[in-house]
Amino acid sequence: MDIITETLAGPFQYAFMLRALIVSVLVGIMCPVLGVFVVTRGLGFMGDAISHSMLPGMVAAYLLGASPFSGAIPMAIVVALGSGYLIKRAGIGEDTSVGIVFAGLFALGLVMLTASRGIPVSLEDILLGQVLGASWSDVFVTAGLAIAVLAIIFGLGKELVYASFDPTGCSVIGLPTEKLEYLLLGMLAVVVVLTLYAVGIVLVISMLITPAATALLLVRNFGGAAVVGAVIGIASVIAGLYISYYYNMPPSPIMALVASFIFLVALGWKQGVAGFIQHRRARHV
Amino acid sequence: MAHSHPLAPVDVSEVSVERGSLQILDNVCFTVGSGTITGVVGPNGAGKSTLFNVITGLLPPTSGQVLIHGEEIDRVRGKVAYVVQHEQVNWRLPMRVWDVAMLGRVKSIGWLRRPRREDREAVEDALEKVGMWDRRRSLINELSGGQRQRVSVARALAQEATVLLLDEPFRGVDVASQAALVSVLMRLRDEGNTIMLSSHNLNLVTNYCDECLCINCRVYAYGPPQEVLSQESLTVLYGPAGAIPPQDHNTMERRVGHHH
Repeated sequence: MDIITETLAGPFQYAFMLRALIVSVLVGIMCPVLGVFVVTRGLGFMGDAISHSMLPGMVAAYLLGASPFSGAIPMAIVVALGSGYLIKRAGIGEDTSVGIVFAGLFALGLVMLTASRGIPVSLEDILLGQVLGASWSDVFVTAGLAIAVLAIIFGLGKELVYASFDPTGCSVIGLPTEKLEYLLLGMLAVVVVLTLYAVGIVLVISMLITPAATALLLVRNFGGAAVVGAVIGIASVIAGLYISYYYNMPPSPIMALVASFIFLVALGWKQGVAGFIQHRRARHV
Repeated sequence: MAHSHPLAPVDVSEVSVERGSLQILDNVCFTVGSGTITGVVGPNGAGKSTLFNVITGLLPPTSGQVLIHGEEIDRVRGKVAYVVQHEQVNWRLPMRVWDVAMLGRVKSIGWLRRPRREDREAVEDALEKVGMWDRRRSLINELSGGQRQRVSVARALAQEATVLLLDEPFRGVDVASQAALVSVLMRLRDEGNTIMLSSHNLNLVTNYCDECLCINCRVYAYGPPQEVLSQESLTVLYGPAGAIPPQDHNTMERRVGHHH
């Protein structure tokens, strides 16, 4: 019993691990809740693009000695809303916008990062995330924004669902469909930045998509999928933190691996059950 | 052509829509009465969807006006429902039939609020009227095209709309489901609702619509379909036979020849 308690509580005697735990759990909750929209709306590509293109904003904030969020979040929102506008109004395809604008901004960010000296962040931090280096102010920023995003999704859920389901019908009854769409993109931008700070640019998409996709395999309604997704998200990040602590590995790839593993198990279970039911039916016929 | 009546469910007067130098609707005037099904026919690109967008208030006309029960659309938004073509709707969302019908209540529930008992009763009524109550727990991505249309109609009824516009409701819907949808629409008409639908299926329009609006930028004819859908008016509307591929022309002749 003592060994188990020691194993479970051990990592969190350290304040940095406790902060990492809080940030990770917040990411583990808000990513799948928004992710249910991202997966069913096919916005994953957009999320990935936002995570890459906010890099110049983040590097600029570091250069000015400000919080990385203060550069990254406005940049991500501008990119998300701007691309939403481009796709809607200019008729430029989503993949084309990504190829031109987002990859260009990522390249600019990389050049800024390597050309500037004395900023307290490395390429590795950007790629793998800095959850273990989170300060208390990072924790508070993440918590505040996560609560805001969750409150919006909870409060405006039915309107957001209507705009996602049938934007034309939504406008006809007089709801501000376009504003709801931009609100969704804005929340995507915020969640992407908070997540990439924790798990790194490349693995944002894993946190955003995988737990939500797993939940959608198991539960076919928005509310249920959000709750199940959050449970899977929390399980993934906590397992990731423990494994990374005891095996001395960076946490974010482990979190992503755990999430992918849970997805595969759910898929296998689902297919197995489906196969079993079919088999039973076939025998009864 | 019917005379303008200011308190009619749908009164379209002198509506023109221009996009750049392109004239999409030219001085369109017509009035639709209560308890009618009006079929809107015309070739592709004739402006049928644009007309529906103007009536539902999505697109302000360049000139002219639309009155719904004598009021401007902004004052009676809940009274009008628009069932768009089914590929414009995201049927992959994780929703059940019940959830879609409940969307019709979103406006009356109000921001930040949850459904009350009256909302659930309205949804139950609506689903029963379209014959989808037994399927209320079905996932929407498991429904056939015809069932999706009926669920969309249920959403409009839950909204308490009295004017329903349906854009190509029969496209991609098999014959049995078409019959089910038609009987739902006829029942709603008999209860006094006003229904407008666009269709390329002239047979259905002839058999089940009370009025037919032939449109191609401007109104070519408006009246009972048996009178309006003559061979001559179709030739004028869709262009001379040479402009239509031979098979299509034959089927059109056959359909027109069949009307009762």
